[in-house]
Amino acid sequence: MTSTSLESQLVIGAVLFALGMIGFLTRRNLILIVLSTELMLHGVSVNLTAFGRYHGNPQGQVFTIFVLTIAACEAGLALSLILTLYQRRKSLDVYLWGNLGEDDLPVFTGGGTAQQTKPLDPNADLPHLTPAGRAPATPATKT
Amino acid sequence: MKNGALLIPVVLGWLAVWWMLPREKGRSRILGALMALGALLALQVTFLPPVGNVVRDSLFYLFSGTAILSGGLMITDRNPVFAALWFALSTLAVCGLFLLNSAPFLSAATIIVYAGAIVVTFLFVIMLAQQSGASNYDHHAVQPVMASVMSFVLLGALLFALQEWGGIDGKAADEVKAGQFVAQDAKVRANIFSQPPSSNKNEIGSMRVLGRSLFSDYLYFVELAGTVLLIATIGAIAIAPRRSQGTL
Amino acid sequence: MFDWLKPHDVLWLIPAAPLLACLWVVVVGHVVRRQYAHRPVILAIAFSAVLSYYLLLKVVPEYFGTPVAHDEHAQEHKSGDHAQADHKDGDHKAGDHKEGDHKKDSEQKVGDHKDGEHKDHDHKVAVAKAKPSTAISVNVFGETERDGKVTPVPWIRIGDPQGVPTLLVLPTLRADAMTALMLVMVTTVSLLVAIFASSYMKGDPGYPRFFAAISAFVFSMCMLVLAGNFVLMFVFWEAVGLCSYLLIGFWFKKPSAAAAAKKAFVVNRIGDLGFILGIFMVWQTFDGSIDFDTIFGDPSVIARVVTMQPEILTTICVLLFIGAVGKSAQFPLHVWLPDAMEGPTPVSALIHAATMVTAGVYLVARCTPFFVHAPTAQLIVSGIGATTALIAAITALTQYDLKRVLAYSTVSQLGYMFMALGAAAAGKEFATLAVTFAMFHMFTHAFFKAVLFLSAGSVMHSMGDVIDMRRFSGLRKALPITHITFLAGALALAGFPLLSGFWSKDEILAIIFEATKHPKHGEFFKVILGVALLTSLMTAFYTFRAYFMTFWGPEKFPEEAGHHPHDAPPAMAIPLLLLGIAALVVGGATGPTHLYGNYLAHTPGLPAAHHHEPNVPMMIISSVLAIAGISLAYLCYVASPGISRNLKSGMSWLHTCSQEGLKLDAIYLRWIVKPLRLVAQISEFIDRWVIDVIVDCVGFLPGLFGAALRPIHNGFVQSYAMVMLIGLVVCLVTALRVLAGM
Repeated sequence: MTSTSLESQLVIGAVLFALGMIGFLTRRNLILIVLSTELMLHGVSVNLTAFGRYHGNPQGQVFTIFVLTIAACEAGLALSLILTLYQRRKSLDVYLWGNLGEDDLPVFTGGGTAQQTKPLDPNADLPHLTPAGRAPATPATKT
Repeated sequence: MKNGALLIPVVLGWLAVWWMLPREKGRSRILGALMALGALLALQVTFLPPVGNVVRDSLFYLFSGTAILSGGLMITDRNPVFAALWFALSTLAVCGLFLLNSAPFLSAATIIVYAGAIVVTFLFVIMLAQQSGASNYDHHAVQPVMASVMSFVLLGALLFALQEWGGIDGKAADEVKAGQFVAQDAKVRANIFSQPPSSNKNEIGSMRVLGRSLFSDYLYFVELAGTVLLIATIGAIAIAPRRSQGTL
Repeated sequence: MFDWLKPHDVLWLIPAAPLLACLWVVVVGHVVRRQYAHRPVILAIAFSAVLSYYLLLKVVPEYFGTPVAHDEHAQEHKSGDHAQADHKDGDHKAGDHKEGDHKKDSEQKVGDHKDGEHKDHDHKVAVAKAKPSTAISVNVFGETERDGKVTPVPWIRIGDPQGVPTLLVLPTLRADAMTALMLVMVTTVSLLVAIFASSYMKGDPGYPRFFAAISAFVFSMCMLVLAGNFVLMFVFWEAVGLCSYLLIGFWFKKPSAAAAAKKAFVVNRIGDLGFILGIFMVWQTFDGSIDFDTIFGDPSVIARVVTMQPEILTTICVLLFIGAVGKSAQFPLHVWLPDAMEGPTPVSALIHAATMVTAGVYLVARCTPFFVHAPTAQLIVSGIGATTALIAAITALTQYDLKRVLAYSTVSQLGYMFMALGAAAAGKEFATLAVTFAMFHMFTHAFFKAVLFLSAGSVMHSMGDVIDMRRFSGLRKALPITHITFLAGALALAGFPLLSGFWSKDEILAIIFEATKHPKHGEFFKVILGVALLTSLMTAFYTFRAYFMTFWGPEKFPEEAGHHPHDAPPAMAIPLLLLGIAALVVGGATGPTHLYGNYLAHTPGLPAAHHHEPNVPMMIISSVLAIAGISLAYLCYVASPGISRNLKSGMSWLHTCSQEGLKLDAIYLRWIVKPLRLVAQISEFIDRWVIDVIVDCVGFLPGLFGAALRPIHNGFVQSYAMVMLIGLVVCLVTALRVLAGM
């Protein structure tokens, strides 16, 4: 076991983390977003095991096991959420889910068009909020 | 500039990723591949010197190269099915790295959990969702420049930190003693189940040591993790759409 | 019977009782048993009245005469730089002051003076020469320290915390002879009016509100006369103005009442500006002192100022007089008082005839030590008073609104009082007499004007709130009690011989007559005397014009009165009768016997007085004028009503002029209100289109900034994650820069 090996593995972990982050930020497919987070977790796991090896104790691996557990939980929940979302919009496009944004902003499509141009009444099941930064409509507004 | 060398792999890597990110019109994959290989090579030259053990070095380069390349392909592939498969490959390579870190149990568990369960399930969902063919949202990256630049700045910062303080230039000369660095104090016990640390250095990474640690020092956390897993299972079942609500 | 009561407790208990009643009515009486809201108020005012009489008869006289150590009060006197004024014969030179002892230390404080047995006037003057009178003063809030000293807690303290403050206002209550007389008058009239109002206002939806305001007024008025310094006086000067506003606008749903309340308030503001400027100048001139005791107690203080800045006192006096002009409805600020009759009649009787409007007279009387050194200011006072008296009398001649007749007569009588106050310009030796007669006229006027107003209220009550004298007549059979009391008040006001108004008015005429002998200002005072006599005639005429038009002639009721107009119920009749009796006898009882004058002469700070003998020729002239006026009214309105009609049609221009108050309101509207309104419109334009636009622009900037930031909040997870990543990178890079020492 050498120090160089540790540093090399840390480099690999950092690269994997960065790649996962790019994936998370750029992909529009809900499933690929979740997978990108898993890639980031891999980077972390590599780091943990490398340190465990370096220090000669099992704690790095123990933590990796916990990471694995949480990743499994996350994957399960994410999958069920994705399925629910898919059922609503019949699409895995994350851009169909911008309801929290300001109503009157032009839809940001990131270069392409949302597959489902007219969603099935996207706000039907959500409370309608007054957009921030605009005066609420009152019956008698001052001229 | 002392740390200027790390700019080459970072910039090349960024170019490769940015070039290959999904777009309406595909770009030359060869150019991307060349840039990616160049970036990897520069990374190897700058940060990954061989340790001298040929077998170990070659295995390490194989696994790490595979992990990075397939990770990059995963995030850039326009077909989500292939992307998921690239992810599976990346996971396998990472498991190889686990093996190199003397974590055979982890390696096996990760393969089982990820490749065996997660990726397959996701693939299943992707295929279900794309019965009508490839969707156009997979052909568009969101904020590609911004995201890749920021991520690579982050990576550059991490690499800079490693280069500055990580001992790659031989600063950590006491690597021989590394194994004893955080040897546990026998008197410090995490809880009443704690066992004294193993005195046999060769046992590190073995399932025996791992198990002892998990079920003594980390017993509570294991229980907690189990509970979280249970709750997540219940939650997933509760959230997932019923058959009565319609088909997938 | 009140021996257990310390004099200083009397002082604060008098205003405290109405204040407590006011708070009770506001908090509890407004909700529970609303129709009995008058009870605590009447009780509190009665309590104050009893204490006032005690103060008048027992407490204040103890402060006349020889100093006697009085241990029991020594601790309470801490703050009191008890004024010690000299009472000397007028033969002494003005500058020959015997400096009173100023006792700063409370342990040595000698504040109480015994004087019980000096009934004889001359004897008293002789005795008073050696034994200065003082005022009682007490600080409302004080901290008793361990050694028994009481440190007054200042109300306002400006200046270096350790050193001598530039402005120090203590909440000091102060009573002397003048205060005691004012208090007695205020509480007595208030009590009777409150009893009257308890029946008069019955059934009004704002019944508790009315009594809360009345008790607040009594509190404020008592505090006004008890105030120990100019600032405290100003505060309650404003407070009585506020109560007046609240009560004029009592029926605030009536537009005319709301407008009248506003007018009264705004016009009073003009006067108050003068008053507060006067206070500033007093503060400036007397080295930061605004205490009555400090300024008036020691003649040398004023004397020093007179020698250094001879003209400054004239300025101060004129400014203070402007305040009095506003409050006491003198020309040119008298226009608010007739309109103030929109308020309930008891309010008119109490506030706008008997008490509040006399505050201006009180102010000028209180500041007599200033005025004696400012003859120019006194000439102004006298001139304004005469002008007001004449204008108001002319206006009152042709009014058809019974209450407006009385309102103008109030203005006119107040003018009389100022005439008397100004007569002191003829010489310092007149000052005390002038003050005495003005205050005495105020005293008698309070009673007979209150009874007149309350009788008018009684007429209104039975006529279904109709007050136009053309719509009813011959009420003397229907309303016998009201008729009697109104007649008593009218006779007193007209100056019928041997009644209240006769004595006080005669004394005013006498002192003006004395003033005409002055070599320099004699001509001026001859004019004033002529105006006074003419006004006296007109007063008798218009008072009895109103009387005859209301109570004589054919019996006629308006439809609003119903079939059977009923006379005043007991709760109204008893105060009416009491006040009527007072209107008849109070002047005769206290005027010619010199009870009032001698008592008032004990006020510290008043210069020494002549002994005054009644002026018999003046009495005869004024009696003749009064009887002539009454006869003329009888002739015109009862014996041959044709005369008045012919006069009216013959001199319709004059009639209109008089009826509209010499068109003063129209002139004010044309030359003051409208230009001011134009200025206001210009200001509004600038406000709306310049300042508001600037403000809007400033307000628009955050909106613009927010609009620029809004696209960030687009609802897509990846945008948010991007922002988080940027934050992370920034933090990391910063941390690395620090660690690497770059």
